[in-house]
Amino acid sequence: MSEQAFQDSWWLLTRARGVGLLLRILVLVSPLAALVCTRAAGGPAPVVIEFGVVVLTLFCVVLPDSHLGLLVSLLAGVGWLATVDDTTTPWSLAMALTLLVFHTSLAAASVAAPGAAWTAALRRRWLLRCGVLAMACVASWLLVAAVNVYDVAASSALVAAALVVLAVAGLMVRDVTTDGAAGH
Amino acid sequence: MSAVDRWRPTAAHARALIVALVFAIVAVLARRPDVLVLATPFVGAAVWAIVLRPTIVPAVRQSIGHRTVREGDATTWHIHVDDPEGRVETVAALLEAPDWVDRRPLEGQVVVGLHDDGDEGLDVVVRSTRWGRRRIGPALVVTTSAFGAFRWATRNDSQGASLLTLPQTSRFDAAAPPVHVPGLIGVNRSPRQGSGNEFASIRTFQPGDRLRRINWPRSVRTGTLHVSTTWADHDRHVVLLVDALEDVGESEGIDGTASSLDITVRAAGAIAEHYIHAGDRVALLMLGARGVQRVAPASGYRHLRRLLEVMADVQPADAQRDDGRLPRGLGGGALVVMLSPLTSPAALRRAVNIADHGISLLVVDCLPPDITRQDPGDPYVGLAWRIELLKRAREVRRMREAGIAVVPWRGPGSLDVVLRDLQHHAGTRPRRSP
Repeated sequence: MSEQAFQDSWWLLTRARGVGLLLRILVLVSPLAALVCTRAAGGPAPVVIEFGVVVLTLFCVVLPDSHLGLLVSLLAGVGWLATVDDTTTPWSLAMALTLLVFHTSLAAASVAAPGAAWTAALRRRWLLRCGVLAMACVASWLLVAAVNVYDVAASSALVAAALVVLAVAGLMVRDVTTDGAAGH
Repeated sequence: MSAVDRWRPTAAHARALIVALVFAIVAVLARRPDVLVLATPFVGAAVWAIVLRPTIVPAVRQSIGHRTVREGDATTWHIHVDDPEGRVETVAALLEAPDWVDRRPLEGQVVVGLHDDGDEGLDVVVRSTRWGRRRIGPALVVTTSAFGAFRWATRNDSQGASLLTLPQTSRFDAAAPPVHVPGLIGVNRSPRQGSGNEFASIRTFQPGDRLRRINWPRSVRTGTLHVSTTWADHDRHVVLLVDALEDVGESEGIDGTASSLDITVRAAGAIAEHYIHAGDRVALLMLGARGVQRVAPASGYRHLRRLLEVMADVQPADAQRDDGRLPRGLGGGALVVMLSPLTSPAALRRAVNIADHGISLLVVDCLPPDITRQDPGDPYVGLAWRIELLKRAREVRRMREAGIAVVPWRGPGSLDVVLRDLQHHAGTRPRRSP
């Protein structure tokens, strides 16, 4: 990201108002909330990770359409993995919701200039989407809790099958995203 | 299809994909189902975006409502997006504009949901606050799919438009009688009797009188032939001499302070509109401006439009281009209205030169009245202007002593007294020898 692009983004940020301003506040707050969830679930994450998340989040506010959000998400996940041992803690749901808010806010902030006035229909559409994904997070957490309750035995075959499914899914996604994006 | 003419995945989509895959792999390898919960929003967003991935780029058309407006008037910049596939969700646009153009919404930033709002919400109101010709648009139009995962942006420079802003003519009206001119056509009553429509008197028949002028009732009653006489109709020929040698002062557009060229152009437009409305012929001469230097005299509203368009294109010359010669088209009884801030020696010389040829000349002083308050942060600027104004006042006094009427532009009626005086002294001023 060039210095000029950063300056342009900063200038645009100073014009933020309404929904554009709210989105940037959410971008700023949600990773901090994720760190709070991590602390609540298993204690403080390594200082380097927390510091990295905070600093990168500040840049994300200025540059929502950059890959810094990817680093913040990964760092938050690493912090969780390194800190939390309880795999069924309800804080994982809260953590997932904060990541959802972070990702959606960044995506929404990158579709329009910060000063643009969002229409009511547009706001409803994004809120509805966010709500659906939040429901998916709840369902996912319930599924994990159920697996834990029924104590499904670990299986090497199951792990291998899951890896294969992930690999195939990854390849399919890559093909669809790169080739399909060429358009007509 | 060019490389830019296609949908591209965004950083948001890359984030959703990579985080989803990394978290899922870690969850499987580390046997951490809680990480799967963390991956859920990213998996959901990525899958959703891929399912609703657009493949056909939309068609974007841009247009402007009016290509010619008056100062302070607004028009609309239209953006139409045609999405045959129906997968464009969000359309954002950013219309940049040059100086003197206000946009609403602020900064020309708009965003709509194409499905729910249509593309009517993409209209940007454009308001021009100063005369001139400017290039507007095209807007940068960015379309995105679900979750902002795929983006297609376009900015077709050929869809820009030229917006001509005509000067907002200050309302001007003159009740003064017309200045003496020798023409015999037009709608104004001449001070002389001649062939016209308006009754003047009845007198005895003289050789040369036309038979259709005989007043038979009076002739029968008196037993002597009498004829009805009429006032001649004459054609008023007004020449607007616009001094564009300098633009003094700071212009803030129609809503703020005016520079000398602002006042000059708006006053010239007002005077032209007044005389054209009265059916007179108006010519335009530019002193020192770049571009069109002269518009021949004519009447009618199309001619007024032509005059205003030429005035809207006025730009002060880089160098003082004034040969000092009497411009063509003067003389022949024309009323010359010279509009100038009177800060240039060339303009002052030109005024004296015109008057020396016995041409009716009215000089309209277009210097901004608050010129000495231009830079409150630097008192020396105001002081320098006061010194300059003292010298200028001396020159103006000399012009008045030479019989040239100089009147500051103050809007409606500000020229009445001077025009009446010109009528009173018409033809009495001796022509000086060169």
